[in-house]
Amino acid sequence: MRRILNFVIRDIKSGTRDWLVIYLAAAPIMFALVLKMLIPSVGDSTLNVAIYEDTPPAIVSYLETYAKVIEVNDMEERILRMDDVFGVVVNDDKVEIVTQGNEMEGTVDLLKTIVGRYQNESVELPIEVEFSDIGWVMSPMKLEGANLLIIFNTILGGMLILLNLVEEKMSNTISAINVTPTKRKEFIIGKGLLGFILTLYGGAAVITVLGFEGINYAMLFVSVFAISFIGAIIGFSIGVVSDEPISAIASMKTVFIPVLASIFGAIYLPAKWIFILYWSPFYWAYDVIKDILLVQATWGQVFMNSGIILIITALVFVGLRKRIVNGLS
Amino acid sequence: MIKVNGLYHSYSKDENFAVKNVNFEISKGEVFGFLGPSGAGKSTTQGVLTGLLPIQKGEVEVVGYDIRHPKREMFNKIGVSFEQSNVYGKLTALENLEFYRKLFDVETMNSMDLLKWVGLDHVANKKAGEFSKGMKHRLTFIRSMLNNPELWFLDEPTTGLDPAIASQIKDIVKEKNKQGTTVFLTTHNMYVADELCHRVAFIIDGEIKLIDSPRNLKLQHGEKFVVVEHLENDVLKKEQLSLIIDQDKARLNEIISTGKIEMMHTKEATLEEIFIKVTGRGLE
Repeated sequence: MRRILNFVIRDIKSGTRDWLVIYLAAAPIMFALVLKMLIPSVGDSTLNVAIYEDTPPAIVSYLETYAKVIEVNDMEERILRMDDVFGVVVNDDKVEIVTQGNEMEGTVDLLKTIVGRYQNESVELPIEVEFSDIGWVMSPMKLEGANLLIIFNTILGGMLILLNLVEEKMSNTISAINVTPTKRKEFIIGKGLLGFILTLYGGAAVITVLGFEGINYAMLFVSVFAISFIGAIIGFSIGVVSDEPISAIASMKTVFIPVLASIFGAIYLPAKWIFILYWSPFYWAYDVIKDILLVQATWGQVFMNSGIILIITALVFVGLRKRIVNGLS
Repeated sequence: MIKVNGLYHSYSKDENFAVKNVNFEISKGEVFGFLGPSGAGKSTTQGVLTGLLPIQKGEVEVVGYDIRHPKREMFNKIGVSFEQSNVYGKLTALENLEFYRKLFDVETMNSMDLLKWVGLDHVANKKAGEFSKGMKHRLTFIRSMLNNPELWFLDEPTTGLDPAIASQIKDIVKEKNKQGTTVFLTTHNMYVADELCHRVAFIIDGEIKLIDSPRNLKLQHGEKFVVVEHLENDVLKKEQLSLIIDQDKARLNEIISTGKIEMMHTKEATLEEIFIKVTGRGLE
């Protein structure tokens, strides 16, 4: 344990000297903040309606089923602010919509439809209209974006392992470590630990910044921990044979292809074609993390998906083992 | 300390051996020099002895451990200084030593004391990446002493160093040897080998051609002559006199008794001359 910690501390020292660890630690927070800035713009498609205090309760109640309703004293001042807020003013039986003129395209038509439906409630329609729920319980951008970032973090963790190993290869220090009592597993754990910590920390940062509530952190920890192995193994396999950081990073970037293919495949492929993603540990990670974020995951699902991830990772390890062992010699 | 019997090693794992049928033993407290030109098999032999290269054929015992079944604790007893400096450039000299110090299970030397030994204490907190080649070499050298090794492998310890620093390094090796450290010295520098080693092995094309002490080699292969430069009637004369022929011995006594000797030295062979004579090849 002493030696493992020694490697971790060395890597932190070395990584902070050229800001590497700082950049990689800041990356998940930065990505999450960018995503958070984008999420409100999706939320802006929600109708915001300003009304006077004396608006009849019936229309207020009706509007509240479709829009966020706020009471104001100065309608003009509220409408003229930067955000998209419409005014609804009731004069006798007439309902007027007040707009600034620069609101998001289509939203005024939506409000007109809603207000028109209220005014024409008694009119018999020649068609029957039904409202249905498509199942979204949170912004898809928030859900999918957070999931993508959490899985993306595993590659960042692998990249940290890779760059620390490249440093060892560049300075030929592995030979020097090989003539100390350090056991190979101590070296591997010591070199890999920081990557795992970064991945877990990144996941926690994404969840915190994006404000997910009520999720089971233990389930998330188990799932992220399982998927971290694949990033670590790929980081090791590239790192131990590279003595130049740019080419090593270029090799690592190719891993983004299966990551993105798995996630976008899971989002866009019809259910009957999902089986073509079963080879990818990133798909299984996406699948379980999505349910964890939606607070729908069960421990059975977490263990099953994590088990599949670890089996696929073990197969990848078997394929890369010789390359890793030779590189560490 | 080291027993090597029938050691072979091939990088291509075929009959193209980098070292073949190497046999030698090194006793405790000995400084043993492995002398040979580049590519002779010196580093390959050291690589096998330190466990950095796998043993393919032969028997090797190092500090009591069979190298076929090496145990990690063996490395608490040995120190290895590499020919090419290999230190962490982003860490300071002191951090480099402190990091390695914590990898051993035995009592280690004080890092600052070691830095003082080789005159690096004033740059203890400077990043090793900003060091000159010689400074990095000294750092690599003292790192190999951290665990107070019983057996110390030194690969070209003075190569590329200026004479003053090289002399400092040689003094440290002598001092550690006096304290009981066994040294396996790999070099192509005959002067270093001559000065430090109790015995040397000449290796060429992967084979040991000869093992003996530098003194014995000089006695065996050197010429028994003395060259004397002396003044006779204010004229400088140079004479080469045999130490075997009675007439020459008498002449030498005569010159010594006149007391006008300017220079006198024996015509003993250098290790390089002996190496060339034995192997038919130079050391470069």
